[in-house]
Amino acid sequence: MIELRNLHKTFGSFVAVDDISLSIPAGEFFGFLGPNGAGKTTTIKMMTGLFTPTSGQILINGYDVVKQPQQAKATFGYIPDHPYLYDKLTGREFIYYMGGLYGMEKNDLRENVERVIDLLELAGWVDKKTEDYSQGMRQRVTFAAAFVHRPKTIIIDEPMVGLDPRSARIVKDSLSQQAKQGCSIFMSTHILEMAEELCDRIGIINKSKIIFLDTKENLHLHKTKYDGNLESVFLELTKEQTE
Amino acid sequence: MTTFLHILWFKNLMFWKVPSQRDTGTIIRNVGSFVVFGSFAVGAFYFSHFLTAFLLEEVKIGLFLFHRFIGMLLFVFFVTINLGNMVVSFSTLYRTPEVQFLLTTPVSYLNIFVIKFLDNFFYSSGTLFMVGFSVLLGYGFYFDLPWHFYPVMMFGVLVPFMFLAACIAVIVLLLVMKLAARVNFRILIAAVVVAYIGQVYLYFTVTSPVHLVREVMKYYPNVDLYFGSLDPAGVRYLPNFWVSEIMYFYVAGNTSAVLGYAVMLAASTVGAFLIALSIAAGSYYDTWITSLSIKSLTMKALTLKDRFFSFGRSSSLSAPVEVLLKKELWQFVREPMQWIHFVVMMGLLVIFLSSVSTLNIRLESAYLKAVVYLVIFIFNIFLINSLALRFAFPMISLEGNAYWSLRSSPVPAEQVYRIKFLLVMTILGVLSMVIALLSNVPYLFIHHIVGEKPWLVERVVPSSQVRVLAYCSIIITPIVTMTLVSLNFAFGSIYANYSEKNPIRIASSQGATMTFLLSVVYLVYLLGVYYFAATMLFTAEIRKLPVDWTVLQIVMGAIIVPSVIITGVVHTLGIRSLRRDLT
Repeated sequence: MIELRNLHKTFGSFVAVDDISLSIPAGEFFGFLGPNGAGKTTTIKMMTGLFTPTSGQILINGYDVVKQPQQAKATFGYIPDHPYLYDKLTGREFIYYMGGLYGMEKNDLRENVERVIDLLELAGWVDKKTEDYSQGMRQRVTFAAAFVHRPKTIIIDEPMVGLDPRSARIVKDSLSQQAKQGCSIFMSTHILEMAEELCDRIGIINKSKIIFLDTKENLHLHKTKYDGNLESVFLELTKEQTE
Repeated sequence: MTTFLHILWFKNLMFWKVPSQRDTGTIIRNVGSFVVFGSFAVGAFYFSHFLTAFLLEEVKIGLFLFHRFIGMLLFVFFVTINLGNMVVSFSTLYRTPEVQFLLTTPVSYLNIFVIKFLDNFFYSSGTLFMVGFSVLLGYGFYFDLPWHFYPVMMFGVLVPFMFLAACIAVIVLLLVMKLAARVNFRILIAAVVVAYIGQVYLYFTVTSPVHLVREVMKYYPNVDLYFGSLDPAGVRYLPNFWVSEIMYFYVAGNTSAVLGYAVMLAASTVGAFLIALSIAAGSYYDTWITSLSIKSLTMKALTLKDRFFSFGRSSSLSAPVEVLLKKELWQFVREPMQWIHFVVMMGLLVIFLSSVSTLNIRLESAYLKAVVYLVIFIFNIFLINSLALRFAFPMISLEGNAYWSLRSSPVPAEQVYRIKFLLVMTILGVLSMVIALLSNVPYLFIHHIVGEKPWLVERVVPSSQVRVLAYCSIIITPIVTMTLVSLNFAFGSIYANYSEKNPIRIASSQGATMTFLLSVVYLVYLLGVYYFAATMLFTAEIRKLPVDWTVLQIVMGAIIVPSVIITGVVHTLGIRSLRRDLT
């Protein structure tokens, strides 16, 4: 479960995130859309503890990310937009490393490492050093590392960067499976079709404010107003704000 | 040439661009850097002036010995620049994305080579130019030398001297990379390491500083005379010898000798640069291709231990501590730039310690004894500081862009900081104790040579006063090590650069340079305070007086208290920096 309360972030005089409030219950797949520079990544970085909010509150599975960072972080898995890994470790070592950081017991970790390697179909190359990986391979290892400790919440920033169609399908299936198992998922993406396919609810952010927040069903009602496709809704909403 | 100037122009533009970040922290850091650099330049001037006056007027070693010592220091300086340039050149010429990008453009291979070589040279030598000029000013002011001494020495001697070291470094590197197409790269690296350690050993064996001092001192008080006949023949062909001769003859007013040596230096530098260009013109691209095949260099022996340090293997440590330690280990041993540099530094350390631990100290003056003792002591500490700068400073930055994985995990920043610090502190702490113990061997078991036959050695039990000094050094060394490692580690956190992958470039960045300068300020303070203890104890030994424990307690307090305060302050700042927004 994720709850953002009046979240605000400024860098000097620039307002990156302006008074965002959201609530994502357990088992919901939430899509976070918006044009470049709208504040998506800043919001995610605040949720994952990489940025400190200027004001407001972030609760993940009941824990305040600022006041109880360790407890909060123990409950979620994070997949960043740029899947940087430690070049000198193999994919398998990186997954073990991440499991260790979440304090997993060794036998449990071994089982789960094998589980995520199977789930993301990494077996063919997971024992090579990550410096030799393509962008897509790095992305899949990052997903595996985020799933290894069986998180209650998954936070993803642009999941499809560099993925070929087969990898994209593997990732989409694995995410759907996590959501069905009761995991709340917060996903930022540029790919409108993906949001439409996977998400239960969609939020659109523009110029640091939430300008649209509704269920997929209600979004379909909006779509009928604009040529029947999501792209037109997105373009119209963000255009209105710009004007 | 037009392409070359075009690229150079844009590099120049990038260099002078004002950073876009203008928050208070950045401004304070920049102002702080400026103050530290400025203060260090002034400090280097006074230190050089004071040291020249002290050695010539108090210790009375004479002009000849003074310049021979300068020559020896310049040899160490030359080898350091040479090795540093070689390792950094490997990274800049073969591993940077900029080279990959330039190779896709119509820029010639030779132009790419020259641009990256110059980039490398000026990047790693900027601070050395500043320090060198300040030292020259202090030296020149002492001898009241004419104004033209400074530009001539700076641009006609110091810059060519450093450039020559860089050219030789890149020649060796190109040859190694050329050979790497046919010979195993690990064997080549081992050969280079052995050759460098061998040449340092050979130089100090041939020049034999102790023998030189004894021979010159036979002519006391006429020690300002020129004793060129004592110089071993081979040494005369070395650039550090030419520079020390230029300085000696500048002071002696012998212009023709100055010109002669300056021309030799300039000709050698131009020659070395032309040789580097000719090798690069024919084989830079080929060696770049070769470098791709040696990208994932790992020692075969280490794969055996893979099982022992495997991530899947259980251990008694807590899970986060265990994986963090294993990650640090594998990042170190799988990065050739890390372990090769470590092996070279350990080799030099072994040579130094084997020389120092068998040193024959037979001096009559308490001042001279104190100076010799403090030179060894400060060299030890300097060595530890170099290791700390090279290996502790980059530790946080080496988390690199993958740092998100740690920051978004439930492991607190303080714990990550503590584990990394304790790891580097344990290794450097053990090394520092070995250095402290071995370098104090002559002061715990003094060897006296009887008569003229060096093989007749008599073991003499040292005086209690000298033993007290040796024990004091052994006690304060770990404290000083802790302070220096803390300073370097914490400033590595404050000036963390997660986008730089090369540990050597991190250790020679602006933040690292500032840390080095701050460490030197601490070392000068340490030297100044410890001088009181050393002279008091050597005077007590010679005059057969009891140890003045009050002086000793004050000196120890004056070292330990500020060291502990510095350690506490820098760690507080370091941990705070680790919590900054990860942009």
